[in-house]
Amino acid sequence: MNSRERVLAHLAGKPVDRLPLMPITMMFACQQIGARYRDYCTDYRVLVEAQIRVAETFGFDYVNTMSDPAREAADCGAPVEFFDHQPVALVEDRALLADKSTLARLKIPDPLGGGRMHNGIQAISLFKERVGSEKLVEGWIEGPIAEGADLRGINTLMTDFFDDPAFVKDLFAFVIELELRFAREQIRAGADLIGMGDAAASLVGPHFYEEFVWPYEKQLVDGIHAMGGRVRLHICGNTRRILKGMGSLGCAVVDLDSLAPLHEARQQAAPGQILLGNMNPVTVLRNGTPDLVTAAAAQCHREAGPRFIVGAGCEVPRDTPPENLRALCEYAHQHAP
Amino acid sequence: MPDLKLLYEAVVNGDAKASLAITQQALAEGVDPLILVNEHMVPAMDEVGRRFEANEFFVPELLIAARAMKASLEVIRPLLIARGDKPAGRVAIGTVKGDLHDIGKNLVASLLEGGGFEVIDLGVNVTPEKFIETVNLKQANIIAMSALLTTTMPAMKSTIEALKSAGVRDRVKVLIGGAPITQKYADEIGADGYSENAVGAVALAKKAVAT
Ligand code: B12
Repeated sequence: MNSRERVLAHLAGKPVDRLPLMPITMMFACQQIGARYRDYCTDYRVLVEAQIRVAETFGFDYVNTMSDPAREAADCGAPVEFFDHQPVALVEDRALLADKSTLARLKIPDPLGGGRMHNGIQAISLFKERVGSEKLVEGWIEGPIAEGADLRGINTLMTDFFDDPAFVKDLFAFVIELELRFAREQIRAGADLIGMGDAAASLVGPHFYEEFVWPYEKQLVDGIHAMGGRVRLHICGNTRRILKGMGSLGCAVVDLDSLAPLHEARQQAAPGQILLGNMNPVTVLRNGTPDLVTAAAAQCHREAGPRFIVGAGCEVPRDTPPENLRALCEYAHQHAP
Repeated sequence: MPDLKLLYEAVVNGDAKASLAITQQALAEGVDPLILVNEHMVPAMDEVGRRFEANEFFVPELLIAARAMKASLEVIRPLLIARGDKPAGRVAIGTVKGDLHDIGKNLVASLLEGGGFEVIDLGVNVTPEKFIETVNLKQANIIAMSALLTTTMPAMKSTIEALKSAGVRDRVKVLIGGAPITQKYADEIGADGYSENAVGAVALAKKAVAT
């Protein structure tokens, strides 16, 4: 079975020859082909080249289009800043929705309108053409609170939960519509799986997560399912208090960061939920040794059980020693679920 | 005389309106502004920090508490200046070059203000040159640097080195913090102090200016 068949079979609960391997790489992948990160973010051909290179070198089962959180916001007209060697970033003190009344006039940009979203969709088409029958192709969207934070400014959004809950809900409703359109075009272009990053969800605590975030994440996941898509949820940071919610969205894959224990996720998530993760990307993967990485992967596997995909807690850092990443990959290559 | 326990509660609960109203009333009745700060607002922020560590509070709660404290400080600060109280020190704070994370840095800045410091917030992605300029032009005597990325931690070291080359290292105390930073790292790069949270940052800054 090839990589794509393996992941799809595992997601469907069918037998597989070994554990699927799907670590997040962005800056690390870019480094593999010696490109500037600026180009990785802005030119889909660079991204595709780097992703295919890293996937082939290390035997990953997938390729993906994520590069930075600012694609959708940039197309909405938010000021963003480009750096040679860092991800594209929102300029928070000039946030698009600094004035809340702007939301009422905000139009959803056409994902195929030649902007940054379009560039991401072109990456999917090119992946499909080059490795589409061999590797699983994953697209990327932002979740409600992550994208809400990009449009409104993350520091401001945090206080909006108290000051203007109705605005937060209007904002998230806008985001859902935006992200569903983006997801639809990614699925049309051939994405097998849609990654959904909702980083800021780890900052708000269970109360706001349940009241404001989860219902919109759920709408987004359900909407993608209605298009025939599948979702990989990734929330950076400490999600220990919201594991139950994350595990009950119906996502194909719940990808956990290192601060949330996998065994707790296993207890709290819906039965059969595929978990991915979650060794510390910095202290173990980047700063550790191959032996430590192997031990950490085994520990994750034990905690998660057979419904598991191998990866790190978050992005593989740029300067990770290749032998450490190789140890992670070999764990997947050599173990059945 | 208003019940000053309510000021404490207003700050803990992030109620800026109440915090301001109680402060104004207390000041009108002749309560010493420093008592409001040191005996009620600072302990309130300590409690907020404790609840954050205990996973009872999260970032939104931290930010509204800091905002409530600031609302009161706005009316207190001019009074302190008018009567000739000197700020505890002048802090130039920023997130280091290449790093854009600022939630933690903003909290530290707010609490330093609460602790009686004058704070010059240089924002994010702050170059060593910018820190040096602030020491030279604005006479900052504390530099507080924040970094959340392993890849930007070295910028703290290079900033300290740049301060040395510019000949201003001994005019300032350098404090550092952010999730990946450790005391060990602070010692290695020759920083004057490290704290793992914003409440600790104030104690650290006070210690730094006292020595
Ligand atoms: C929010 C967030 C973002 C937001 C930042 C928005 C903003 N305006 O700040 C966005 C989406 C932009 C972002 C981007 C990225 N992020 Co980020 N982000 C986070 C997240 C989820 C929360 C950070 C936070 O605000 N914590 C809450 C505050 C209150 O805590 P704090 O900052 O630690 O501050 C406290 C203390 O440290 C201390 N303190 C802080 N500063 C100082 C200073 C002094 C002097 C003192 C004494 C004390 C002190 O006091 C504070 C209060 O108690 C963390 C994960 C996590 N939960 O930690 C990842 C995280 C920090 N990000 C990470 C990464 C990798 C990135 C990106 C590279 C990802 C990417 N490829 O796009 C980019 C980099 C962008 C850049 N160039 O900076 C990694 C860093 C890994 C590492 N160690 O290197 C983390 C840990 C996620 C992960 N698990 O991988 N991120």
